Amino acid sequence: MSKLPEKPISAEALTAQFMRLKRGSVSRRHFLGVTGLGLATAVLGRTGSFSLEAHAQDLGSQMSLATWPNYHDPASFEAFTAKTGVAVEVNVFGSNEEMLAKLQAGGTGWDLFVPTNYTISTYAKLKLIDPLDLSKLPNYSAKTETARFTQEGVIDGQTYAVPKNWGTTGMAINTDKLKTPVTSWKDFFELAQTEADGRAMVHDYQLTTIGSALVSLGYKFNSVDPAELAKAEELLVKVKPHLFAINSDYQPAMRATDAWMTMCWTNDGAQLNRDMPEIAFVLGKDGGEIWSDFYAIPSSAANKAAGYALLDFLMTPENAVKEHIANGAPTTDSRVLALLPTEVTSNKIVYPDEAALTPLEFGAAVTLTDPARAEVMARFKAA
Amino acid sequence: MRAFVSFVYLFLYAPIALVVLFSFNAGRSASEFTGFSLAWYGKAFSNTFLIQALQNSLIIAFTSALLAAVFGTMAALAMERMGARMRLVFDGLFAAAIVVPGVVIGIATLVALAAVFSVLNPALASLWPTATPPQFGLGYFSIIAAHGLFSMAVVSMIVRARIASLGRDIVEASNDLYATPFGTFRQIVLPQIMPSVLAGFLLAFTFSFDDFIIAFFVAGSKTTLPIYVFASIRRGVTPEINAVATTVLIASLFLIFAARFLMREKTMRTSGEG
Amino acid sequence: MATRAGTRHRFVTAALAAPAALWMLVFLVLPFVAMLVFAFGRRAPEGGYLPGFTFEQFLNLPARAAAFGNTLMLAPAGALLCLLVAYPVAYYLAVKAAPRHRLVLVSLIVVPFWTSLLVRTYAWMYILGSRGLPNLLSTIGLPDLRMLNTPGAVLVGIVYGYLPLMIMPIYVSLEKLDRRLLDASADLGARPVSTFLGITLPLSLPGVMTGVALVTILLLGEYLIPQLLGGGKVFFIGNALVDLFLQSRNWPFGSAIAVTLVLVVVVVLTVAMRIAWRFAGTRRVDLV
Repeated sequence: MSKLPEKPISAEALTAQFMRLKRGSVSRRHFLGVTGLGLATAVLGRTGSFSLEAHAQDLGSQMSLATWPNYHDPASFEAFTAKTGVAVEVNVFGSNEEMLAKLQAGGTGWDLFVPTNYTISTYAKLKLIDPLDLSKLPNYSAKTETARFTQEGVIDGQTYAVPKNWGTTGMAINTDKLKTPVTSWKDFFELAQTEADGRAMVHDYQLTTIGSALVSLGYKFNSVDPAELAKAEELLVKVKPHLFAINSDYQPAMRATDAWMTMCWTNDGAQLNRDMPEIAFVLGKDGGEIWSDFYAIPSSAANKAAGYALLDFLMTPENAVKEHIANGAPTTDSRVLALLPTEVTSNKIVYPDEAALTPLEFGAAVTLTDPARAEVMARFKAA
Repeated sequence: MRAFVSFVYLFLYAPIALVVLFSFNAGRSASEFTGFSLAWYGKAFSNTFLIQALQNSLIIAFTSALLAAVFGTMAALAMERMGARMRLVFDGLFAAAIVVPGVVIGIATLVALAAVFSVLNPALASLWPTATPPQFGLGYFSIIAAHGLFSMAVVSMIVRARIASLGRDIVEASNDLYATPFGTFRQIVLPQIMPSVLAGFLLAFTFSFDDFIIAFFVAGSKTTLPIYVFASIRRGVTPEINAVATTVLIASLFLIFAARFLMREKTMRTSGEG
Repeated sequence: MATRAGTRHRFVTAALAAPAALWMLVFLVLPFVAMLVFAFGRRAPEGGYLPGFTFEQFLNLPARAAAFGNTLMLAPAGALLCLLVAYPVAYYLAVKAAPRHRLVLVSLIVVPFWTSLLVRTYAWMYILGSRGLPNLLSTIGLPDLRMLNTPGAVLVGIVYGYLPLMIMPIYVSLEKLDRRLLDASADLGARPVSTFLGITLPLSLPGVMTGVALVTILLLGEYLIPQLLGGGKVFFIGNALVDLFLQSRNWPFGSAIAVTLVLVVVVVLTVAMRIAWRFAGTRRVDLV
């Protein structure tokens, strides 16, 4: 009873409060308390005939998510749809460049997407994403996130993106088929031309494909030095006839044993190894990539409300845990880490020793927009 | 030779048989048959995004084919009446619309519309009284525009070929009998060219319904069936796709046979009368 | 009177032609001009287009020489392979097949068009993948054949996708052939081979030329088949174009390549028509 306001609220005041609620500047609890609707909701909510929780008409009936291959637990979306009535369309892409190109060409229809750490500053600069309204994400907890993996989502004090998970770019090797041990990117490119001839895959993605080639030659993963890029291009073009495919979705080929060895992200490595123990996941001791993927909402999104709703749903630790168990990528959120079963947290593919991570580098923003890297990749594919 | 021809038919139909077979798969995979089930048909037709893509494709194919059939036929009739130099221009444009690869049509349309929108949208925003002006963007309109090019050219070529084979004397006879030009057109010319207009419409519909590459560039946020299928090849095909493909195949077979049956009825009736 | 009728005639003609003319102007001519303008521009730092006037993009064309080379080799090769498979089928349908079966057999050539080419090509990904044909062949003792993601796989996909387009024009030209000519030739003691070379083949040449030109030209802009069956390794110009627009975001260079591709198509078409005039004696090749 103490929550009830002294006198009945006027129509104008109710409208004003409601607009504030809709804009997200006040919380639902505040709104309900001020307007006295809280009691009514509490009473009616029990009968199930009136529930503000659903917001069904506000969220629309569908939304679209742009993400990476094999990156989510399909059950997460089913649960979200069951809860909100919003169906989620999932589109997958093979590189950040592809996502950026789509957004630049206009009209993607995405309401939520999953960019990688080093791309966020460019998206923000091009005004393709807006700062997030954190009041619409009550389940996101900045305190419990690991700064190392979250910092690039914050620009000038404003949060443009919140982390999904982190991971590494290593190699997946079918040890039934390949007997020579592989421990470095140098080994990877050598084996691709010999024992794994016709059976190796590289990503359709400049950052990792050029980056790993650079690393194998002893250069920096993020190099944009013309001479070093020329060496990397030379190596890639030499290896190309020996490759099985250039494709960022390598799970089907690895599972069918069409391919025996591939560049591989942590989450795919964990999934492949879980289902086919003969597939090992190896980090290059000469270097490679460490990354974190983020959720962001395109400024062109048609259904931002649903984008926020799905994002908040996925940020809820109980839901995030299921995602992480299914997808196999390491979490950035200590709340989620605490909930994960030990067989996940002790999995060295998912949580490698710190020493193995030392040679790895985060992608640099310059690689996304550097015309030379884009052209080297395009020439390699067209060679 | 028979053996070779049989082999070619096998070659043509083996993949289709595979597509149909996997639409009845009980398992999740479109490449490993684990048992018979109709479940994927139910899943496919309760998948809002798949149904929406199918609807979009039908709307786009129908609209572009209809516009192409009408405008293409009109152009074909006009070309019979215009001077040789104008006709050459039209011939050239239609030939270009047919010969220029789809990927180039897609790119050119994207580039041109991006340029136009980059001028139009800010202008509209500055003139618009409220804070949320409408935005021009890619969508139905751009796909229909780009599909219509090829379709219109094809329709007009087919119809022109038909007009060329028509005797001029029948038109002249009609005019001599004091029929109005429109009356002559409606009663004499139209019935004669109608089959080729319909053939053009069907060709245009099929082309638009199956096109991937043009729509890939100019669809914006709209998803057509081929775009949906392409996206699902990337995220892992489930037999849902096979179920839809099989349904489309059966529906079109049904339509072809229905059309053929109706036409046969009609020709039998006309020949009975004559 | 005469002038009024003349004005009226011109008015009706213009009204009939206007919608198509406008459509072609707005959606074909203008886009082409825009593309030409873009081709002389520069790539924006983050990707896209910056206005400018430079020949840089055209000078960079050799960077896609391999893709052009691939396309110019695999497109005619695919068309010729198509022809080799299509000719006997068309001949059988037009000359050998029993007339009462002909309609059904010809319809069966067209029916595959009613299933999405994408879906059918996906089926080939399965057939050529290691769980498909290679697996089947390994049971009869052929070890470890790799088929998917090779130029061979792309050629199979091409023949599969374009076969009906090759069979139909050849069938149409063979169907018109007067069979009494063949009988006469046989009666005069010609061997089947010389009847074929002397009568059938020359008379079917217009169909052959139409089919080869049609398939070659469509293949010059192909994207899907190399994309799905070539694993990103067999690159056509179409693939290079998609890559430039939807990956490396170099719109001006992409426009320059698209303009060049159109020029290539025009050259190929002109050459094809020249050959057609010389050998088939027809005045033009019907593309539709």
